[in-house]
Amino acid sequence: MSKYKISRRDFLKYSGASLFLAGIPLPGFTKDKPPGNISVILLEGGMDGLTAVPPFGDPNLTTMRKTITPKDFLKLNSFFGLHPSLPNFSRLMAKNNASVVHATSFPYIRRSHFEGQNLMEGGGLSPFAEKTGWLGRALEIANLPGKALSLEMPLILRGYNKNDNFYPASINKSSVLNSTLISKIAMAHNKDEAEIFTKLSKKNSQRTITARDPISLAKYAGKEMSKENGPISSVIRIGQFDTHANQVSDDGYDKNGDHAKRLEIVDDVISGYREGLGDAWNRSIILTLTEFGRTVAVNGTRGTEHGYGSAGLLAGGTISNSRVIADWPGLSKNEQFEKRDLMATIDYRSVCAACIERSLGIDHDRIASEVFFTPKLPRVYDYIFS
Amino acid sequence: MNEQFRVAQKIGLMFRPEIKLPKDIKDWAISQLHSDSTALGISTKNEKVKPWPESMQPDLEKRARLWRLYRENRKKERERIDGQELASAKQANRQNNLMREKDEMKFAHRNVYGNDQIRMRFMSFWANHFTIGNTFDNESLIGHAMEEAILANLNGSFSEMLYKVTTHPGMLIYLDNIWSAGEESRQTIDCRKNVDCQSGLNDNLGRELLELHTVSPNAGYSETDIRQTAKVLAGWGAYFDMPLSEMKEMAGTTNHWDVYKQRYAEPGNKKVLGKVIGVGKGGLRQLIDHLASHENTVLHLSTKLCHHFVSDNPQKKDIDYVANSWRQSNGDLDQIHSAVIDRAINSKDEKFQWPMTWLFQILRLSNATYIKGWEDLYNYDNQLMDVEKIFEELGQSFWSTRQPDGYSSKKEEWLSGEMFERRLRFASAIYNVGLPKTSPEQIMERIGANITTRNLVESAGKTRRVRFIALMCSPELMGLNSV
Repeated sequence: MSKYKISRRDFLKYSGASLFLAGIPLPGFTKDKPPGNISVILLEGGMDGLTAVPPFGDPNLTTMRKTITPKDFLKLNSFFGLHPSLPNFSRLMAKNNASVVHATSFPYIRRSHFEGQNLMEGGGLSPFAEKTGWLGRALEIANLPGKALSLEMPLILRGYNKNDNFYPASINKSSVLNSTLISKIAMAHNKDEAEIFTKLSKKNSQRTITARDPISLAKYAGKEMSKENGPISSVIRIGQFDTHANQVSDDGYDKNGDHAKRLEIVDDVISGYREGLGDAWNRSIILTLTEFGRTVAVNGTRGTEHGYGSAGLLAGGTISNSRVIADWPGLSKNEQFEKRDLMATIDYRSVCAACIERSLGIDHDRIASEVFFTPKLPRVYDYIFS
Repeated sequence: MNEQFRVAQKIGLMFRPEIKLPKDIKDWAISQLHSDSTALGISTKNEKVKPWPESMQPDLEKRARLWRLYRENRKKERERIDGQELASAKQANRQNNLMREKDEMKFAHRNVYGNDQIRMRFMSFWANHFTIGNTFDNESLIGHAMEEAILANLNGSFSEMLYKVTTHPGMLIYLDNIWSAGEESRQTIDCRKNVDCQSGLNDNLGRELLELHTVSPNAGYSETDIRQTAKVLAGWGAYFDMPLSEMKEMAGTTNHWDVYKQRYAEPGNKKVLGKVIGVGKGGLRQLIDHLASHENTVLHLSTKLCHHFVSDNPQKKDIDYVANSWRQSNGDLDQIHSAVIDRAINSKDEKFQWPMTWLFQILRLSNATYIKGWEDLYNYDNQLMDVEKIFEELGQSFWSTRQPDGYSSKKEEWLSGEMFERRLRFASAIYNVGLPKTSPEQIMERIGANITTRNLVESAGKTRRVRFIALMCSPELMGLNSV
């Protein structure tokens, strides 16, 4: 099939990302400022942990994935490597400011994007069980209202009725909106809609960013979060990890595959955060989230299918000791989940809980029961932050 | 709102000022399922409404020819040959050979100027159900699929629509089916002899066909069912710039909508959800017929239709009513849609309207000219935004890059400050540059606006501009009940 020129690659440069900022302290409302801040990068479509962080020490990797494993990976230790499209992340690891959690997942095994994404954002016990998101609930416990910067309100941040969003509009010839008019409109509406219009009538319509590319969004988010009364949390959404075809490029270059190009965006976003956060980097944690990993075996179209276990990338000045945290399950057929996927041996909710604990200063048991509804959720804090 | 407008808002696009209101709204709505309207639009700002020019609505074969030209020129552009890298040449390539922007404008025009508002709404419902996201190698196909796979089959059976959508090149490209090959196919077997060759199954379309398009996870299918579905689908489709000679050789056809490559097909029978599916090209038709009439499909889609047209929280009796009409008519879309219309009229529940639907509705109500004419498609206009940009700023577009589960019909998914601000800003821009020919007072009179709306407009101020914005963003015109 390599004789056919596939044009799909062309679109990657067009596709953007979206940013949500949340947890903005209100003067006189928040008593104690939390110890840190937390940012989530949502990787939609199913990030392939075996591509991002190839376990080259596992002999089955090359036998099962010869054609799609990066050749020029960077060595992290004697067992794990890092995809060459993650150079900034690699530098942060060298500085002891980044870690990887591998063979991990939310406890979701049914391989549907839509159920999986709902679960990774909702953080409930089953897909579509929750109308609020785990980060929204955590911010609520920390008493931090906030706003999201995007056109829609992502599930992960819902839960707080004071949440709000904004995203720079660019509508020709629309006049400056007058707040009296908007409050009149608000008064005619019912509760939910009225609240939204009321907030619009009060807001400062000044726009601070115009660029919508992922790096600019991350820099902007970092900068906002570094401010004295800035948001405590941000979420960036990056799509299209769902590489059923052309996960790698037919020209043989590791960095030209569809998955590599998405990883490059993740890498840029992390370095954008680093730059924007400035000194606030030292109290920050950034973590990636994906709905599932991908099959160990390659499919017929140089891609992979929906799987189970994946990897999580963590970065921030709150990490002081870089490592790859894994209880490696192995890649042989019998070690795979249902003889097809990387097994998950770490519940990723524990990783999220540790990041909440570090940044928002909430007790683990409270996070386990009130944010994830799982009182016995294992605590992995020490593996990440000690 | 009077009954005619309440219904036209819920399941249609509102009546333009020149249209006489029907006496029996239900009869009208059901007869609208067969309304015969070609694509209507305007050539430039000040022209009368007329049918879209044939030359801008090429058939699939012509689209493929243009697409090949487009791709060749893009290649020249990268290699800097024939001056194709010059801005003017790039622009000409887009104008002459790319269909996306023309299709987007035609869609907007049809919705704003058409005489087939109920059909347009059902087309949008199904286009959203069968989402074909833009992967930029199917961008000249999305509009074609909406019109020819969906709209053209709106009066037939669900099974036929499902078959036409599943085999449409836009869908086959979007969900990666075009290279999928059975594990025991000729292609894969030959391929195994060659070290660098890769061939095998891709289950993307198979998975979504079950999960999203038909039975839904409630059917309790297994991974094996998904793999078996993918095996039935293996062999279908080709990339859109495949040379016709090659297509002829591989699939014995030059029709992009009928490409089944025997070399890629999985031999032997398959079994999906207990049903044995025969070998070969006909297998897909068998599978589609089975899925289309499956009880879980009937329930899944009856519920989804009710969510979109009847209520965010439809009653069980409404869903049952639609499901029964589905069962009794063996999936006849006219019967199903008539049942939906019946329930939507019967239910007094509010239905919050999608951003794009709201935009079309207020443009029709106010008789504003906010969508450029086709002669101006590629001309810069400092007043009117490009259609593509309008959809982008609305936060909703059938030509965007997005996931196959489509846009939600539920109000809660659209409640955000930013989304609401866009409505305020669009209302303002439409007033400023769309120059509505109908005044807020005339609109309120014609639709029989409720007291909340009248009070709101009255309190908004004296100028026609603020009164217009207030009216368009009133709960009533957003599809909501008011306090």
